[in-house]
Amino acid sequence: MTALATPPALTGRRTAAPHLLRWLVRLHRPALLVWAGFVLVLGALLIWVGGPLTDAAVEGWKHYHACAAGGCVYDPSAVGRYKDWYTYTTIAVLAVPFLIAAWSGATLTSRELENGTAQLAWTQSVSPARWLAAKLALPAVLVTVGSGLLVGLHHWAWSAGQGRLDSAKDWYDIGTYAANGPATAAMALAGLVSGAFWGLFKRNSLASLVGSLFSTAFLWSVMAIATPHLWPTVTKLSSLKNTVPSGSGIVVDQGLVTSTGAHIANPHCGSTDWAQCQTLYAKLDAVSYYNDYHPQSHYWPLQLTATAIILAVTAALAVATFRLLERQTGTVNSRKAAAI
Amino acid sequence: MTGTAAIEAAALGKRFGRRGGWALRDCAFRLPAGRVCAVVGPNGAGKSTLLALAAGLLAPTEGAISVLGTVPGAARERVAYVAQDKPLYPQLTVAETLRMGADLNTDRWDASVAQRVVADGDLNPKSRIRTLSGGQCTRVALALALAKRPELLLLDEPMADLDPLARHEMMGLLMAQAAEFGTTIVMSSHVVAELEDSCDHLLLIGGGRVRLAGEIDELLAAHVRVSAPAQTALEPHPVVESRTTGRQLSALLRPSTPLDTDWHTSKPSLEELVLSYLRNPEASAIETPETAA
Repeated sequence: MTALATPPALTGRRTAAPHLLRWLVRLHRPALLVWAGFVLVLGALLIWVGGPLTDAAVEGWKHYHACAAGGCVYDPSAVGRYKDWYTYTTIAVLAVPFLIAAWSGATLTSRELENGTAQLAWTQSVSPARWLAAKLALPAVLVTVGSGLLVGLHHWAWSAGQGRLDSAKDWYDIGTYAANGPATAAMALAGLVSGAFWGLFKRNSLASLVGSLFSTAFLWSVMAIATPHLWPTVTKLSSLKNTVPSGSGIVVDQGLVTSTGAHIANPHCGSTDWAQCQTLYAKLDAVSYYNDYHPQSHYWPLQLTATAIILAVTAALAVATFRLLERQTGTVNSRKAAAI
Repeated sequence: MTGTAAIEAAALGKRFGRRGGWALRDCAFRLPAGRVCAVVGPNGAGKSTLLALAAGLLAPTEGAISVLGTVPGAARERVAYVAQDKPLYPQLTVAETLRMGADLNTDRWDASVAQRVVADGDLNPKSRIRTLSGGQCTRVALALALAKRPELLLLDEPMADLDPLARHEMMGLLMAQAAEFGTTIVMSSHVVAELEDSCDHLLLIGGGRVRLAGEIDELLAAHVRVSAPAQTALEPHPVVESRTTGRQLSALLRPSTPLDTDWHTSKPSLEELVLSYLRNPEASAIETPETAA
């Protein structure tokens, strides 16, 4: 009983890598089905909003304009339905990063560490690092594809109404801007990784769920505040004859320009057509409005810069997650021990 | 004995959290390969921590541990581990759990072993893990561990959930594994009697330290239970435990020279030996020569 014998039959079988994919799919099948269902349903709704609903709303507006002359009854239901469903689908797309963060925080690593099933996996022939890599990679692919598809469809559904619908949202409407762009898909990835990080950090489902949601919300807020400053603005000067400064888009700063070229605050009086305002502007020595803003041409630079920043944060978080796991399971220490 | 040690620890210590207490400290021992080793000690002694360190699930805070001649992380494929609460994925069926073993241990998996262990327990492969009893979970966990054909099998309180019949059957299974493949088995328990017949090596952990380590036969042979009149001087023999009842002194000694022939001596049982050491934390730790790290 003292001889340590490796069964000879096994030596010739050193072949395949572990079938991690098959195992992961079986393990997370319910989440996988829910995600697939969510993407399909929301995708179908977006196609419905961008197709039939937009067409019906365009007809509705035509009726409205025809009736503006009087003599007929206008039915606003199609326009209302478009507005409602556009809002619902926008909110659903914006919720994606938080749904992913909640799922990832509550189950991806935390529940496994809590139940000891992570340790079960690590004592099969899979190292903790490989386990984490697999656990992140598969959902990352699915989240990227799914959320990318959703923001793409949202963008399409939104653009279907541009120029045809009087009530269509502008590109800089905050919900529309976020739901239209890749930054939201990147945010979903950040939510996924933050859930994995919190799971390893707290080793408790509830704490990890809360941590993951809060850190995703924090990153989302920071990006929302920072977005207008991610690209140089355009400054547009306009006549005081206008009620407000001209130039529409994401406004960073607005006000009045004096004869010396100084920028001062806008008293929000209105057009110089009002004598009262003319006196006020004369007193302030104002000669025109200025408007520092992002026109629509800045849409992609802003979206892509934000996406890059979010992806960089996500990558840093992923590195931190692997470091944490290494420290907990001793890959680092055992390397040191081996050197002794 | 020279050759590869199954587990070798030097100044091993583990503390949970920066301000937490030490679960294990200054542990040094060597477990030769091919043994069936009992890790005994009271609750909270550090048995589970030691096994988790050997399984590569925890990083030591200080010192080093090597398993099958390498670091625990590198020996993962050759080591099987069954945790105390027998964690399994509750949503999977028995068959799916075994398929997971096959998927994650592609190079070593022996499906017939897993199937046999599960079938012997009359488990329906289609049952979900969450519907199984504690003992049935233990059986599935052991099936996963054995089908991996490990060189070192680490079992944390393996028998706790089993009824006496299943316990006997499982022990038979483990002993057959050890005999057939020379697998080193390390199992922890706080019930000493349960391990006495099947184990040939002992590691007694108390208060986070190794109190006793060695071949059970040698450890028993090295100790003597003595009855003598009260006030008898026991020097120069190291005393593990002594108790005076009326005019009678009874003690457990580790004789260093031949004993006084007037004394009434007897061989201690393993349980007596273990309990004497646990009741007397100040008794010095001993290791038989071959296990000295």
